[in-house]
Amino acid sequence: MNLTWRTWLVIVLIIAVAGAALYFPALRRQVYKAKDITEKTAEQARRELLPPAPVTSGDPKVKAKMYWGSRSQSGQLEPVTVELPLSSDPVLRSKQILNTLLAGPVDPEARTLPPDAAMLAFYLLPDGTAIADFSEALANSIPSGIESEQLAVDSITRTLAANIPQAKQLKILIHGQEVDTLAGHLDLTQPFDVTLEGMSEPRSGVSIITAPIQKAIDKVKDATKR
Amino acid sequence: MGLNVVVLDPAHGGVDLGARGTEGIRESEVVLQFASQVKRALEAQGFQVILTREGNDNPSFDDRSARANAQRGAVFVTLHISSTGLPGTARTYVMPDFPPSNDISGLIPWDRAQAPFTALSHKLGDLVQTELAKRFKGSPATAQVAPVRQLRTTAAPAIAVEVSSVSVENRTDLDRMIPGVAEAVAQGVAAFRPSYVLPALPGSAPGQGGQP
Repeated sequence: MNLTWRTWLVIVLIIAVAGAALYFPALRRQVYKAKDITEKTAEQARRELLPPAPVTSGDPKVKAKMYWGSRSQSGQLEPVTVELPLSSDPVLRSKQILNTLLAGPVDPEARTLPPDAAMLAFYLLPDGTAIADFSEALANSIPSGIESEQLAVDSITRTLAANIPQAKQLKILIHGQEVDTLAGHLDLTQPFDVTLEGMSEPRSGVSIITAPIQKAIDKVKDATKR
Repeated sequence: MGLNVVVLDPAHGGVDLGARGTEGIRESEVVLQFASQVKRALEAQGFQVILTREGNDNPSFDDRSARANAQRGAVFVTLHISSTGLPGTARTYVMPDFPPSNDISGLIPWDRAQAPFTALSHKLGDLVQTELAKRFKGSPATAQVAPVRQLRTTAAPAIAVEVSSVSVENRTDLDRMIPGVAEAVAQGVAAFRPSYVLPALPGSAPGQGGQP
């Protein structure tokens, strides 16, 4: 190989290295950008696809009963009457009611459901079976325990019973799937009766006194962070 | 032959830590200590005790139920520590009544195994809760009803005992409850013993003492 060819080879190599030095950082930026997009979870995608039930100003305002935790008898539920513009369509009305329940009461200590939980879908079958599909936060953020899990489910079933007469029983799904338990205790494989005669009522009428559930939700989050 | 075996289930274990408190209290660890003392108290009453786990493993719900379902004349007690509830109280839970299977073979379907036993479970639950209420002020007087997954597949009188709670600021507050819970469970199960008439054949419907 003579000197001219060697010179040309060196020049081509220098150009290739310089081109790569400019191209690869740009390629890396593109890859990171694509990664950010694909990391969006399926649940986030569903949330975006399923807009929350609209509360239109055209719907008449109706008094609705929401079952949140009692402040005077902690561990028990207490009906709170709120005025909401509610649809006459039972499915739309159910979505509006349950979204209000999830949004929580004015007093956060009376919450029965985790603040980051969302309802992804709701169906009402002709036989009166309501199917409510909640985000994974309902199972992951709720304080683990028989009492706390039952309080959460009772608040949903009683709120439906008080406002949606067409709903007779409730099947709860988590992120579109049937799961064994809510957070390790309460059986979610079977539907729950939608009734105001709650199973959690002590048969003797004695109240159970428990700490407010919001404190437990906060503690679950603290413990999970560790 | 009457009731002589108690299957004791310390809930959770392994990767399933159960309820967790901010002070580092883990339900899966604390229930093992409760189970150890409950076992001793039951043995003092003359019962044979089978634990569903003795270390940090996590048998499935079905495996735990199977330990009781393989026995004749057993009762099942699952032990839990809650995230909520007034610290220093304890509650007993039993399954709600649900219709037994219409299967003409007479076999009990696994996923409805508790159905023929709910009346007996209520009786056992009330007896244990009465003892707990005597020892822990603020606890309810009778058993509560809740669809607890672990109980559904258990073909025996079955209860869940839940103690409040992992949110205590000091672990010793929970440790102080262990002897009382152990005594209450042992006394309650002993008081239940005459009520449980074993079925003539394994798999057939149970009976209650003093009832036709």
